[in-house]
Amino acid sequence: EERGYRSASGAPITLRRRQHSASCRELTVRCPRLQLRSLSAVTSAVWLAAYGLFVLSENSMVLSAAIFITLVGLIVYLHFVKIDQESLLVIGSLGIQVTSSYASGKESTTFIEMGQVKDVVINEAIYMQKVIYYLCILLQDPGDPQGVSEVVPLFQSSKPRLDCLIEVYKSCQEILEQRKTTPQSS
Amino acid sequence: NSPAPLPERAIYGFALFLGSWFGFMLYLIWAYVPETWLFSLGLTYWPQKYWAVALPTYLLVTIGIGYILLFGINMMSTAPLNSTHTVTDNYAKKQQQKKFQEEAIPALRDIPISEVNRMFFLPEK
Repeated sequence: EERGYRSASGAPITLRRRQHSASCRELTVRCPRLQLRSLSAVTSAVWLAAYGLFVLSENSMVLSAAIFITLVGLIVYLHFVKIDQESLLVIGSLGIQVTSSYASGKESTTFIEMGQVKDVVINEAIYMQKVIYYLCILLQDPGDPQGVSEVVPLFQSSKPRLDCLIEVYKSCQEILEQRKTTPQSS
Repeated sequence: NSPAPLPERAIYGFALFLGSWFGFMLYLIWAYVPETWLFSLGLTYWPQKYWAVALPTYLLVTIGIGYILLFGINMMSTAPLNSTHTVTDNYAKKQQQKKFQEEAIPALRDIPISEVNRMFFLPEK
Protein backbone atom coordinates (compact mmCIF):
# COMPACT_ATOMS: atom_id res chain seq x y z
CA GLU A 1 0.00 0.00 0.00
CA GLU A 2 1.05 3.58 -0.54
CA ARG A 3 0.81 6.61 1.74
CA GLY A 4 1.86 10.23 1.50
CA TYR A 5 4.28 11.90 3.90
CA ARG A 6 6.55 14.95 3.98
CA SER A 7 10.30 15.16 3.73
CA ALA A 8 12.48 17.10 6.15
CA SER A 9 12.38 20.14 3.87
CA GLY A 10 8.59 20.03 3.42
CA ALA A 11 8.39 18.41 -0.02
CA PRO A 12 5.69 15.72 -0.44
CA ILE A 13 7.00 12.16 -0.68
CA THR A 14 5.22 8.79 -0.80
CA LEU A 15 6.08 5.55 0.96
CA ARG A 16 5.05 2.26 -0.62
CA ARG A 17 5.18 -0.96 1.36
CA ARG A 18 5.06 -4.36 -0.29
CA GLN A 19 5.26 -7.65 1.48
CA HIS A 20 6.61 -10.34 -0.81
CA SER A 21 6.58 -13.11 1.79
CA ALA A 22 6.66 -13.60 5.53
CA SER A 23 10.31 -12.69 5.77
CA CYS A 24 10.74 -10.35 2.80
CA ARG A 25 9.56 -6.74 2.60
CA GLU A 26 10.20 -3.92 0.21
CA LEU A 27 9.83 -0.26 1.23
CA THR A 28 10.06 2.40 -1.45
CA VAL A 29 10.20 6.15 -0.91
CA ARG A 30 9.44 8.22 -3.98
CA CYS A 31 10.80 11.76 -4.10
CA PRO A 32 9.00 14.68 -5.75
CA ARG A 33 9.59 14.98 -9.49
CA LEU A 34 11.61 17.75 -11.07
CA GLN A 35 9.29 20.74 -11.15
CA LEU A 36 8.75 22.59 -14.41
CA ARG A 37 8.82 25.96 -12.68
CA SER A 38 12.23 25.40 -11.07
CA LEU A 39 13.65 24.07 -14.34
CA SER A 40 12.39 27.08 -16.29
CA ALA A 41 13.56 29.47 -13.56
CA VAL A 42 17.13 28.09 -13.68
CA THR A 43 17.16 28.04 -17.49
CA SER A 44 15.92 31.62 -17.75
CA ALA A 45 18.43 32.80 -15.16
CA VAL A 46 21.35 31.18 -17.01
CA TRP A 47 20.17 32.50 -20.39
CA LEU A 48 19.60 36.02 -19.06
CA ALA A 49 23.10 36.05 -17.57
CA ALA A 50 24.51 34.81 -20.89
CA TYR A 51 22.59 37.48 -22.78
CA GLY A 52 23.94 40.11 -20.40
CA LEU A 53 27.47 38.85 -21.08
CA PHE A 54 26.76 38.91 -24.82
CA VAL A 55 25.62 42.51 -24.66
CA LEU A 56 28.80 43.44 -22.80
CA SER A 57 31.24 41.46 -24.88
CA GLU A 58 29.58 41.41 -28.38
CA ASN A 59 30.70 37.79 -28.75
CA SER A 60 27.98 35.46 -29.99
CA MET A 61 29.85 32.38 -28.76
CA VAL A 62 28.57 33.24 -25.27
CA LEU A 63 24.99 32.47 -26.32
CA SER A 64 25.77 29.11 -27.89
CA ALA A 65 28.00 28.23 -24.93
CA ALA A 66 25.10 29.03 -22.57
CA ILE A 67 22.73 26.76 -24.48
CA PHE A 68 25.29 23.95 -24.50
CA ILE A 69 25.98 24.38 -20.77
CA THR A 70 22.26 24.30 -20.00
CA LEU A 71 21.71 21.08 -21.95
CA VAL A 72 24.79 19.30 -20.56
CA GLY A 73 24.02 20.52 -17.05
CA LEU A 74 20.46 19.20 -17.24
CA ILE A 75 21.61 15.80 -18.44
CA VAL A 76 24.32 15.57 -15.77
CA TYR A 77 21.84 16.64 -13.08
CA LEU A 78 19.26 14.06 -14.11
CA HIS A 79 21.78 11.28 -14.36
CA PHE A 80 23.97 11.89 -11.31
CA VAL A 81 22.09 14.09 -8.85
CA LYS A 82 18.31 13.85 -9.06
CA ILE A 83 17.08 10.74 -7.28
CA ASP A 84 13.63 9.55 -8.22
CA GLN A 85 13.06 6.85 -5.65
CA GLU A 86 14.98 5.02 -2.97
CA SER A 87 14.00 1.53 -1.92
CA LEU A 88 14.90 -0.83 0.87
CA LEU A 89 14.48 -4.57 0.37
CA VAL A 90 14.80 -6.59 3.58
CA ILE A 91 15.11 -10.34 3.12
CA GLY A 92 15.01 -12.11 6.48
CA SER A 93 17.82 -14.62 6.29
CA LEU A 94 19.79 -13.12 3.43
CA GLY A 95 20.43 -9.42 3.83
CA ILE A 96 19.34 -5.89 3.06
CA GLN A 97 19.46 -4.30 -0.39
CA VAL A 98 19.40 -0.53 -0.85
CA THR A 99 18.57 0.81 -4.32
CA SER A 100 18.57 4.41 -5.51
CA SER A 101 17.13 5.08 -8.93
CA TYR A 102 17.94 8.36 -10.62
CA ALA A 103 15.67 10.44 -12.83
CA SER A 104 17.46 9.28 -15.99
CA GLY A 105 16.74 5.64 -15.16
CA LYS A 106 20.11 4.76 -13.65
CA GLU A 107 19.94 2.52 -10.61
CA SER A 108 22.66 2.07 -8.05
CA THR A 109 22.38 -0.85 -5.63
CA THR A 110 24.13 -1.82 -2.43
CA PHE A 111 23.68 -5.17 -0.74
CA ILE A 112 24.58 -5.83 2.87
CA GLU A 113 24.44 -9.42 4.06
CA MET A 114 22.58 -10.25 7.25
CA GLY A 115 25.67 -11.39 9.11
CA GLN A 116 27.07 -7.88 8.95
CA VAL A 117 23.89 -6.12 10.00
CA LYS A 118 23.72 -5.35 13.69
CA ASP A 119 20.51 -3.33 13.69
CA VAL A 120 18.42 -0.81 11.78
CA VAL A 121 17.83 2.26 13.93
CA ILE A 122 16.53 5.81 13.72
CA ASN A 123 19.36 8.14 14.63
CA GLU A 124 19.36 11.89 15.17
CA ALA A 125 22.23 14.02 13.94
CA ILE A 126 23.10 17.60 13.18
CA TYR A 127 22.86 18.31 9.46
CA MET A 128 23.39 21.84 8.11
CA GLN A 129 22.07 23.86 11.10
CA LYS A 130 19.20 21.40 11.66
CA VAL A 131 18.79 18.26 13.70
CA ILE A 132 17.20 15.56 11.55
CA TYR A 133 16.06 12.02 12.12
CA TYR A 134 17.39 9.51 9.65
CA LEU A 135 17.24 5.77 9.33
CA CYS A 136 20.55 3.95 9.30
CA ILE A 137 21.93 0.42 9.28
CA LEU A 138 24.48 -0.32 11.98
CA LEU A 139 27.13 -2.76 10.77
CA GLN A 140 28.61 -5.26 13.17
CA ASP A 141 32.22 -4.97 14.27
CA PRO A 142 33.75 -8.42 13.68
CA GLY A 143 36.00 -8.21 16.73
CA ASP A 144 33.52 -6.78 19.22
CA PRO A 145 29.95 -8.09 19.48
CA GLN A 146 28.71 -4.90 21.09
CA GLY A 147 30.55 -2.50 18.84
CA VAL A 148 29.46 -0.71 15.71
CA SER A 149 31.98 -0.65 12.90
CA GLU A 150 30.08 1.46 10.40
CA VAL A 151 26.89 3.47 10.03
CA VAL A 152 25.11 3.38 6.65
CA PRO A 153 22.53 6.17 6.36
CA LEU A 154 19.43 5.38 4.27
CA PHE A 155 17.04 7.60 2.30
CA GLN A 156 19.64 10.33 2.03
CA SER A 157 18.06 12.42 -0.66
CA SER A 158 14.40 12.06 0.23
CA LYS A 159 14.97 12.56 3.97
CA PRO A 160 11.59 11.47 5.29
CA ARG A 161 10.27 12.85 8.56
CA LEU A 162 9.84 10.90 11.76
CA ASP A 163 6.35 9.54 11.07
CA CYS A 164 7.47 7.90 7.83
CA LEU A 165 10.68 6.67 9.46
CA ILE A 166 8.75 5.02 12.30
CA GLU A 167 6.70 3.02 9.77
CA VAL A 168 9.84 1.85 7.98
CA TYR A 169 11.52 1.09 11.31
CA LYS A 170 8.63 -1.06 12.53
CA SER A 171 8.55 -3.02 9.27
CA CYS A 172 12.29 -3.67 9.41
CA GLN A 173 12.25 -4.66 13.08
CA GLU A 174 9.51 -7.24 12.48
CA ILE A 175 11.82 -9.00 10.05
CA LEU A 176 15.00 -8.51 12.06
CA GLU A 177 13.39 -10.01 15.15
CA GLN A 178 12.84 -13.24 13.26
CA ARG A 179 16.55 -13.88 13.02
CA LYS A 180 16.83 -13.85 16.82
CA THR A 181 14.00 -16.34 17.33
CA THR A 182 15.17 -18.72 14.60
CA PRO A 183 18.96 -18.83 14.84
CA GLN A 184 20.53 -20.67 11.92
CA SER A 185 23.87 -22.37 11.94
CA SER A 186 26.02 -20.78 9.27
CA ASN B 1 37.97 31.85 43.29
CA SER B 2 35.02 34.11 43.91
CA PRO B 3 34.44 37.22 41.82
CA ALA B 4 34.19 39.42 44.94
CA PRO B 5 36.12 42.71 44.97
CA LEU B 6 39.55 42.54 46.59
CA PRO B 7 42.12 45.31 47.13
CA GLU B 8 44.59 43.66 44.73
CA ARG B 9 41.94 43.52 42.03
CA ALA B 10 41.15 47.19 42.53
CA ILE B 11 44.82 48.07 42.09
CA TYR B 12 45.12 45.91 38.95
CA GLY B 13 41.99 47.49 37.55
CA PHE B 14 43.20 51.01 38.16
CA ALA B 15 46.63 50.25 36.70
CA LEU B 16 45.02 48.82 33.57
CA PHE B 17 42.73 51.84 33.33
CA LEU B 18 45.64 54.31 33.51
CA GLY B 19 47.71 52.20 31.14
CA SER B 20 44.99 52.02 28.53
CA TRP B 21 44.32 55.77 28.73
CA PHE B 22 48.03 56.45 28.32
CA GLY B 23 48.24 54.08 25.37
CA PHE B 24 45.24 55.70 23.71
CA MET B 25 46.63 59.24 24.19
CA LEU B 26 49.98 58.11 22.79
CA TYR B 27 48.24 56.61 19.75
CA LEU B 28 46.27 59.84 19.15
CA ILE B 29 49.38 61.99 19.45
CA TRP B 30 51.34 59.76 17.08
CA ALA B 31 48.48 59.70 14.53
CA TYR B 32 47.60 63.41 14.51
CA VAL B 33 50.64 65.48 15.44
CA PRO B 34 52.61 66.38 12.25
CA GLU B 35 56.01 64.76 11.89
CA THR B 36 57.91 68.01 11.88
CA TRP B 37 56.69 68.93 15.36
CA LEU B 38 57.71 65.48 16.67
CA PHE B 39 61.11 65.78 14.99
CA SER B 40 61.64 69.22 16.56
CA LEU B 41 61.08 67.64 19.97
CA GLY B 42 63.80 65.11 19.18
CA LEU B 43 61.45 62.08 18.87
CA THR B 44 62.42 60.70 15.48
CA TYR B 45 62.08 56.93 15.73
CA TRP B 46 58.34 56.36 15.17
CA PRO B 47 56.65 53.85 12.87
CA GLN B 48 55.18 55.18 9.67
CA LYS B 49 51.85 56.97 10.07
CA TYR B 50 50.41 54.61 7.48
CA TRP B 51 50.08 52.09 10.28
CA ALA B 52 47.84 54.41 12.33
CA VAL B 53 45.11 53.69 9.79
CA ALA B 54 46.21 50.25 8.62
CA LEU B 55 46.25 48.46 11.97
CA PRO B 56 42.64 49.31 12.99
CA THR B 57 41.46 48.35 9.52
CA TYR B 58 43.26 45.03 9.71
CA LEU B 59 41.70 44.40 13.12
CA LEU B 60 38.15 45.12 11.98
CA VAL B 61 38.46 42.97 8.85
CA THR B 62 39.89 40.13 10.97
CA ILE B 63 36.92 40.34 13.33
CA GLY B 64 34.49 40.24 10.42
CA ILE B 65 36.22 37.27 8.80
CA GLY B 66 36.41 35.60 12.20
CA TYR B 67 32.62 35.39 12.41
CA ILE B 68 32.44 33.60 9.07
CA LEU B 69 35.48 31.44 9.86
CA LEU B 70 34.00 30.28 13.17
CA PHE B 71 30.75 29.37 11.43
CA GLY B 72 32.68 27.40 8.82
CA ILE B 73 34.85 25.61 11.37
CA ASN B 74 31.72 24.59 13.26
CA MET B 75 30.15 23.18 10.14
CA MET B 76 33.31 21.30 9.23
CA SER B 77 33.70 19.67 12.61
CA THR B 78 30.17 18.29 12.96
CA ALA B 79 30.30 14.58 12.36
CA PRO B 80 28.93 13.48 8.97
CA LEU B 81 25.82 11.34 8.93
CA ASN B 82 27.72 8.13 8.22
CA SER B 83 30.23 8.30 11.07
CA THR B 84 30.06 6.21 14.22
CA HIS B 85 30.56 9.34 16.31
CA THR B 86 26.83 10.03 16.00
CA VAL B 87 26.11 6.78 17.82
CA THR B 88 28.91 6.19 20.30
CA ASP B 89 32.30 7.44 21.45
CA ASN B 90 35.38 6.29 23.36
CA TYR B 91 33.88 6.77 26.79
CA ALA B 92 30.78 4.77 25.94
CA LYS B 93 32.82 1.93 24.48
CA LYS B 94 34.98 1.59 27.58
CA GLN B 95 32.25 1.94 30.20
CA GLN B 96 31.95 -0.72 32.87
CA GLN B 97 28.69 -2.39 33.71
CA LYS B 98 27.73 -2.09 37.34
CA LYS B 99 25.77 -4.90 38.91
CA PHE B 100 22.06 -4.39 39.32
CA GLN B 101 21.09 -3.82 43.00
CA GLU B 102 17.57 -4.33 44.28
CA GLU B 103 15.61 -1.17 45.11
CA ALA B 104 18.51 1.10 44.17
CA ILE B 105 18.53 3.65 41.38
CA PRO B 106 20.35 2.06 38.43
CA ALA B 107 23.82 3.45 37.75
CA LEU B 108 24.20 6.07 35.07
CA ARG B 109 25.39 4.60 31.79
CA ASP B 110 25.20 5.11 28.05
CA ILE B 111 22.24 3.14 26.74
CA PRO B 112 22.85 1.58 23.30
CA ILE B 113 20.89 3.14 20.49
CA SER B 114 19.06 -0.09 19.61
CA GLU B 115 17.54 -0.22 23.08
CA VAL B 116 16.55 3.46 22.97
CA ASN B 117 14.88 2.97 19.60
CA ARG B 118 12.93 -0.04 20.79
CA MET B 119 11.70 1.88 23.81
CA PHE B 120 10.67 4.94 21.80
CA PHE B 121 9.23 3.55 18.63
CA LEU B 122 8.08 -0.03 19.07
CA PRO B 123 5.38 -0.24 21.78
CA GLU B 124 1.99 0.57 20.38
CA LYS B 125 0.21 1.16 23.65
